[in-house]
Amino acid sequence: MSSSSDQFSGRLGLIFATIGAAIGTGNIWRFPRMVGANGGGSFLVPWVIFLFLWSIPLVIAEFALGKRSRTGTVGTFRIFNGPKFAWMGLWTAWISTAIGFYYAVVTGWCINYFQTAVRGGLGSDVDTTEVWNTFLQDPSQVILFQTLAVLITMAAIWKGAKAIEKVNVILMVSLFILLFSALFLAFIMDLNDGTLDGFVYMFSIQPEYLLEPETWINGLSQSAWSCSAGMGMAITYSVYMRKDEDTTLNAATMCLANNSISIIAGLTVMMAVFSVVDDPLSAVSGGSSAITFLVLPEVFAQAPGGPALQLAMVAMFFLALSFAALTSMISTVELCVRNFVDHGVNREKAVGLTSIAIFLFGIPSAATWILVDESTGVAFPQFLEVQDHIWGYGLMFSGLFIAYAIWKYGWSRYKVWQTENGIEGFSMRDYLDHGVSSFRDDFINTGDNDWWIGKWWDYIMYLGFPIMFVILMGTFFVDMLVTVEDPWNPTNPKGITIILIFWGITAFLFISMNRLMLVNRVVPTGKSGFPMCLLSGEYVLEPRPLFRNVPEGADVPIDTLPGGEDPFILKVGDPIPEIENQPFAVSGGSVMDAEIV
Amino acid sequence: MEAVNGGGRTKVARGLRTRVTCLLLPFMLSVVAPAAIAPAAIAQETPSGIEPTDIWSEEYASGMFPWGGNAQIQFQEYHDYESTKARMQYLADTNPDIISFHEGLFGGLNDRGQETSLDDYKGWFYNNPSPWVKITAGVENGDYNPFNGDAGNYPDRPDVMLVGNHHAREWMSYEVPMLFLETVAYYYGQAGLDNDGDGLIDEDSWNGIDDDGDCLSLNASFQDSNGDGVSCGPGDLGVDEDFSEQYITDLVDTREIYLIPILNTDGLIYDQTEWLANNCNGATTANAYEECPRSGWRKNLRDNTVTGVTPIPDLDEAVDEGCDGVDLNRNYQFEWGAPLGATGPLIPGACYAGVNNDVYNGPVDTVDQDGDLRLNEDHVDGKDDDADGLVDEDWLGGNSEPETKFIQDMTEMNDDNNDGASDFKATLTWHSFSELVLYPWGHCTDCESPDHEFLVYHGDQMAQMTLYENLQSSDLYPTSGDFCDWHYGVHNSYCYTMEIGNNFHENPDDISQIAVRNLGVPFYMVEIADDPRFRAVHGLENMSARHWIQTPSEVSIPEKGDIQIDLCLDPYFPFSTQEDRSYLSWRFVEPNRLQNDYGPTEWREVPWEKAPFAASGDDCELKDGTNGTVLTSAVPIPDTSVGKLQYRAQLGTTNGAFPFTYPTIEDGGNYYELTMPYRAGFGSAVLAVLMFIFIAGVVWGGLAFLLRTMFDDDAPVLSLPPGGHE
Repeated sequence: MSSSSDQFSGRLGLIFATIGAAIGTGNIWRFPRMVGANGGGSFLVPWVIFLFLWSIPLVIAEFALGKRSRTGTVGTFRIFNGPKFAWMGLWTAWISTAIGFYYAVVTGWCINYFQTAVRGGLGSDVDTTEVWNTFLQDPSQVILFQTLAVLITMAAIWKGAKAIEKVNVILMVSLFILLFSALFLAFIMDLNDGTLDGFVYMFSIQPEYLLEPETWINGLSQSAWSCSAGMGMAITYSVYMRKDEDTTLNAATMCLANNSISIIAGLTVMMAVFSVVDDPLSAVSGGSSAITFLVLPEVFAQAPGGPALQLAMVAMFFLALSFAALTSMISTVELCVRNFVDHGVNREKAVGLTSIAIFLFGIPSAATWILVDESTGVAFPQFLEVQDHIWGYGLMFSGLFIAYAIWKYGWSRYKVWQTENGIEGFSMRDYLDHGVSSFRDDFINTGDNDWWIGKWWDYIMYLGFPIMFVILMGTFFVDMLVTVEDPWNPTNPKGITIILIFWGITAFLFISMNRLMLVNRVVPTGKSGFPMCLLSGEYVLEPRPLFRNVPEGADVPIDTLPGGEDPFILKVGDPIPEIENQPFAVSGGSVMDAEIV
Repeated sequence: MEAVNGGGRTKVARGLRTRVTCLLLPFMLSVVAPAAIAPAAIAQETPSGIEPTDIWSEEYASGMFPWGGNAQIQFQEYHDYESTKARMQYLADTNPDIISFHEGLFGGLNDRGQETSLDDYKGWFYNNPSPWVKITAGVENGDYNPFNGDAGNYPDRPDVMLVGNHHAREWMSYEVPMLFLETVAYYYGQAGLDNDGDGLIDEDSWNGIDDDGDCLSLNASFQDSNGDGVSCGPGDLGVDEDFSEQYITDLVDTREIYLIPILNTDGLIYDQTEWLANNCNGATTANAYEECPRSGWRKNLRDNTVTGVTPIPDLDEAVDEGCDGVDLNRNYQFEWGAPLGATGPLIPGACYAGVNNDVYNGPVDTVDQDGDLRLNEDHVDGKDDDADGLVDEDWLGGNSEPETKFIQDMTEMNDDNNDGASDFKATLTWHSFSELVLYPWGHCTDCESPDHEFLVYHGDQMAQMTLYENLQSSDLYPTSGDFCDWHYGVHNSYCYTMEIGNNFHENPDDISQIAVRNLGVPFYMVEIADDPRFRAVHGLENMSARHWIQTPSEVSIPEKGDIQIDLCLDPYFPFSTQEDRSYLSWRFVEPNRLQNDYGPTEWREVPWEKAPFAASGDDCELKDGTNGTVLTSAVPIPDTSVGKLQYRAQLGTTNGAFPFTYPTIEDGGNYYELTMPYRAGFGSAVLAVLMFIFIAGVVWGGLAFLLRTMFDDDAPVLSLPPGGHE
């Protein structure tokens, strides 16, 4: 346990860290694919619109939450949603970490492709499918690079915020430079045949696509995922904010920077592919991440300027991709680590544990169930895909929980206002005036920000978000119903049932753990230790202290919040209150009849 | 020999000189054969301008048959009733193992519960029963059928009935069966004969095509020996001339063939003697062609003024040509009766010489067959008209003549395996003229039988052999009560009517070539007699296997618009033009827009759609190299679409029995997949630049603006309302 608060050194550090988290492989391989599949410029319209409707408002909310709670996700939800809802933070942390399990593997792929490129293994005479299949089907190789990814991540966050900041600054600046260089080369390539057709396609609106709901849904989902909004990542990084740090302008900057990179990466890929491939749209829109590893090396290997430049192009691209993946990886691990640190676990120990877990649980994704697609002969990691299938949309709930925090706070303030003014009965007018806007008034427009947030934000969070959430979730399931064969078969790894089972088990487990492990801890009183004591009933629950990372002199009261009265929510360095005097101390009881606190 | 090669057609000279030559030919040939073969071999190496004698035996080149005999037996003069009967008798006597000769039926209790005797099957006037032969290996063994009077009945051998001369004046209709009989008698039990003396064996069997190209190798002036205007077509020398003797032997060994060359003995005798003399300037069979090629006596010789129920006696008992006779091919019972192509019933005792008198279908029945005191209440049509549980038990008429009774009883009493059903699953009758192959139905127009496309299939095969036209009988003209409707309608027998040649009384010079042209047909019917339906199904499958649909690499993708996909179709294939039976199934599979990030490309499942086929009029080459016709289908794919066009064709047949799909299993899978590139333009450069400026302005410009605000300490708080916070 550190004795003083851990902070970013400055605004730029925060911005680079959050940009690093936001920019991931999705910007580089998912965005171009979306542009290709959704009518080029037509896709950019919803993509830009949802940047403002989804990404920025949610990140603003996250920053506001984290800046006030000064804890990771578990603590934030414990404070903002009340002790009964600490599990929401666990869900958020788990989803991010579960994604991290396989994301480390994917990061490993990127690093491997970078080193292969540097060693000249991705030249124009290479069969990229063979390179990919050989690599993916060799578990030792994949695990080696997965390990490397985990180790780099671990090293970056070992020392906390300042180190994270430094690594992110270096990686992000390099990423910008690499991507701009690649963009320049791609521009030359596309211009070689006299037309900039990649550029033209990417920025041409095909009106019929704007009439199709898929285009809008894809624009929304790209905005939702790419910027990491709602993941809890911004909550985590805002823990390290200085006391009077801006939250709104930073949020907007982070999202705009993320989208800026998307445009650069998208243009690079589109122009390069269009300049070389006969049927560029099939290549761009057809497939998954594997396309990145199959098509792009082939494309870049045909860059002008001879072998040296071609090698530079491939290497630059995959180095950029590796950096993008690593910075996202860092935020993922940090999100998990922060929650441990909040609960008093030593940082080094937390980093070690998380890294080992991410490594171990990533091994199945890395090395098992590697199949070959019959129609194309391209290998793909089925286990990893199933993981992504199950946990990818779990992210949506994290966003929902954040919205819930806002709604709940608004409602409680409205009730308080009613009590103070002796008013009974619900009045929409009063609710709008004294409830809905209170989160924004109390936590966003605190006077630290360079951007004052108006009522529009309330509309988005109260009306827009639920609609968008339902649409995204609905289309996700409907799409599965329509396109997946036998979606209700629980053994179908791409089905609906398997998702519901995993979500259900996870949610049940976390809700059960809420009382026993998140806000309290089990102290065995008999001979049997944990967890056997749960069965024998020989245990007592002690409140679990939560340590807020509050900077010196910061004014971050939480007493108006549902979990704010809890004496075990402490600032780092505060002494732990005596347990006997606390109402949260509960005598032992069996799990079966225990109510959730 | 100049008579043999005279002119473009084979003019086989008549008269004593030729007849003697013919008789001597086999002897002469045995002397010259070694010498004849040698030049033939040389001649084949220089195929232009060669003569028949250069490549064939002298005998074959002169159009002679190898069994010798007189001009009748060589099919250079017409047989008559007596000589036909005598020749049948002779061939039966000389081939007792495979041929037995019969006249009429012995009779007994027939299938309808009537007692009959031989007399019931004798012609009204001359009192001759129809002569017939039973052909099968071991014809004297096997089961004996006391009613029909034939031994050689084997339950496991399919039976086939071949009937000539329903209509007296249609002389070729008994000459063709006689050639069939001669051929069977001569070639049975032999194998590997070189029929045409060209040194090759069994190189050109019945299919209407000059398989070995010997005819085609002749000087053009010899290629159309039958003068029908078709070079090396059916009936020409060198076409289908060297069939397999083993095939004939196998058929005789495994089938029971009932060959009835002259059904209408009364009519034939009358036509060849009385009618020609009275109505045709005293012509004889030898010159009937010159005088009356397309007229003559048609019916049998029922005395419509005295026999039967007529109460008024016709005292002189002579044939009254204006009144007497029944059209035997209108007297069968299935859907018997006027008005379709028949006249009748005549008023009892009266007679009129109307235009349709030639197709009088016989008297109306006067018997209450089922004894229920109601008359003719259940007509023969395969249905239980009176709903009494019995089908077709009290008929309106038909089967009133000795000749038709003969056919019906022979059919109904021929049940070797005692399963209650007639053994004849294939039946053929010869008529003249029009060069047609006819299949049921005859009794209805714009109708199709349940086996339509199968009947069409076999009809097509026989039409190809003869270069005749294959038609549904009623499309020529409707007929009720004909042989084939009865056989098919009542006994489910695949029945064909061959309309031979172009005259009733053909030029005797043409008997041989017309008979040769039609020789393959009876063998074909004998062959399919085991299971005509299965053979049609199988044949259609084989035919359908020659079709092909364009593979993805063969489809050309246009710059814009629909994708045309062609299918090469056998023009004989009975394909249905109905859009729900024949169509191109296609679906356009696009990458799923909600794509998983790590697995293989996911494709959006869409339902199959149908695009109709239309004949393009172009030709194509079927898989076996023969000519096909192109069906084309247009698939509408937007220019902007990217994905996979999956397609397959379904060809339904006319009666909907099959859908054949292409690609076939052999072609590798149940559909083809064509990768469709993006075909539209990528967009306007100017608009793209504008859009770029807009997007870059929002995103990059926005970012730059925020960064400036961020680091400018003097900048006001963005969008701070007047009097807002602070």
